[in-house]
Amino acid sequence: MKCELCHKADAETAIRREVGGELQELYVCQGCARQEAAAAAPPDVDAEQPVAGGMGTVPLMGMILDAAFEIVGRAMNRAEPACPACGILRHEYRKQSRLGCPACYEAFARELDAAIFDLHRARQHVGKVPQRAQALCQRRQLEARLAQAVKEQRYEEAIALRDELLRLPEPDAAKGGPA
Amino acid sequence: MMLTSEAQDAPRPALPEQAATIAMSCRVRLARNLAGERFPDWATERDRERVLNAVREALSAEAPELRVTPVAGVEEQDRDMLCESHLISKELLERAAGGGVAVAKDGSVCVMVNEEDHLRIQGFAQGLDVAGAWRRADALDTGLERHLAYAWSPRLGYLTACPSNVGTGLRAGVMLHLLGSSLLGEIEPVVRGLERMRLLVRGIGGEGSEAAGQIYQVSNMDTLGTDEAGIIRRVTRICSEVVRQEHNARVRLLQETPLVLVDCLARSLSVLQNARLLATAEALEFLSALRLGAAMGLCTRLKVSDVDALILMMQPGHLQKGLGTSLTSDERDEMRAEFLSRKVARVKLKC
Ligand SMILES: [Zn+2]
Ligand SMILES: [Zn+2]
Repeated sequence: MKCELCHKADAETAIRREVGGELQELYVCQGCARQEAAAAAPPDVDAEQPVAGGMGTVPLMGMILDAAFEIVGRAMNRAEPACPACGILRHEYRKQSRLGCPACYEAFARELDAAIFDLHRARQHVGKVPQRAQALCQRRQLEARLAQAVKEQRYEEAIALRDELLRLPEPDAAKGGPA
Repeated sequence: MMLTSEAQDAPRPALPEQAATIAMSCRVRLARNLAGERFPDWATERDRERVLNAVREALSAEAPELRVTPVAGVEEQDRDMLCESHLISKELLERAAGGGVAVAKDGSVCVMVNEEDHLRIQGFAQGLDVAGAWRRADALDTGLERHLAYAWSPRLGYLTACPSNVGTGLRAGVMLHLLGSSLLGEIEPVVRGLERMRLLVRGIGGEGSEAAGQIYQVSNMDTLGTDEAGIIRRVTRICSEVVRQEHNARVRLLQETPLVLVDCLARSLSVLQNARLLATAEALEFLSALRLGAAMGLCTRLKVSDVDALILMMQPGHLQKGLGTSLTSDERDEMRAEFLSRKVARVKLKC
């Protein structure tokens, strides 16, 4: 994956920094890691990261941080976003650029959507719809129209829409994570 | 010198035939995953076995001729052969448990199970028939979808292990032989142009972008935001433009620098006829030149399809299978040189 700061070089190391009071983990190139370290000099070393404290040489710091993540792992990163379906953490999927399960797309939507736009220059699928999902799409559309009709107090139309919804076959689980 | 007049006398191949030789083959791959299952990389062995079984059942109901074989059970030489024929990937071979493959008898479709995604449905075709390759993969996909609940979302389409495949999950690739452009020093702008048009360009058999034998695979970069037919049309249109450019390059080579061309052919032929040791990548360079000669009608007793067969048969897996024995790398180089010199012994240049 690319460096999350300059978006040019390949990301080689993980750094942490505080953004608006929230601790963020970023994957960056060596150059950006060095700059970040210079900016965040010893005085405000992250209290949660004693291993990194006072380390002058940045590549080493990166390695140690990475190692710390591996060892301390989930216990220390309770605040780190995880996919509720498969349980993988943000930094885990980002290391490999591979997601854990289909539900990860929802769990990490905020950052994934930007990455997906970068990759494809698009945000919306166009094209094939699986047979099973066609019913689901139809249901979603009817539900939206029903809500709108109720909101606008068009009750006759709402009743017709509700009946139409009731006639649809039972929805098939077309997406989601592991049970 | 004789070359110019002889070359002009030689029947000039019509463009469709040229296209068929410059565009070697194409493939369309659809990435699919099952709803509610972890992607193969994060799945346990048991998860993967469950997916493999589900796919096996779906295939036996929908396309009984496609029998799933667990990769672990395929013999090494056969695995190499499948890989060399571009039917399966190295990644699948490395997947110990739960990896599977099903190949149609005629090789026109192939399904990989538990590679990067649960399913990789691939359709193949000759030349620039990208639409044909797509129809094959698409038909099988539509059949399988009756038995399998795919992970799909209205916004992002087919959900894949890597976000770079999300949407249609469709990658359409064309294999192009671009030696003419390369000899004229024009390959760089061609590659850059393709990348500007958001196509991926990859050399086959080479390291990274280096294309051994100047054989490139060109495929779509984006899988989200354009429908399948649109992607297929786009890849076909741009690749046929590259084919036209390569054709022009070949015509110019013959007219403007015939010596460069003939020298390249003559050297390649004599190495293939006389070398005693040939590594795969090296042999590919020389066969590539011979392929150009055959396509331009400059070699006797040699068709482009002959060269394509040699390119496949001289690869490690095919070579050992053909000899019915397992060889060390050095022994292979010796057998490869021996095999190729025998196959091209009677070939002569017309110029
Ligand atoms: Zn950077
Ligand atoms: Zn997940």
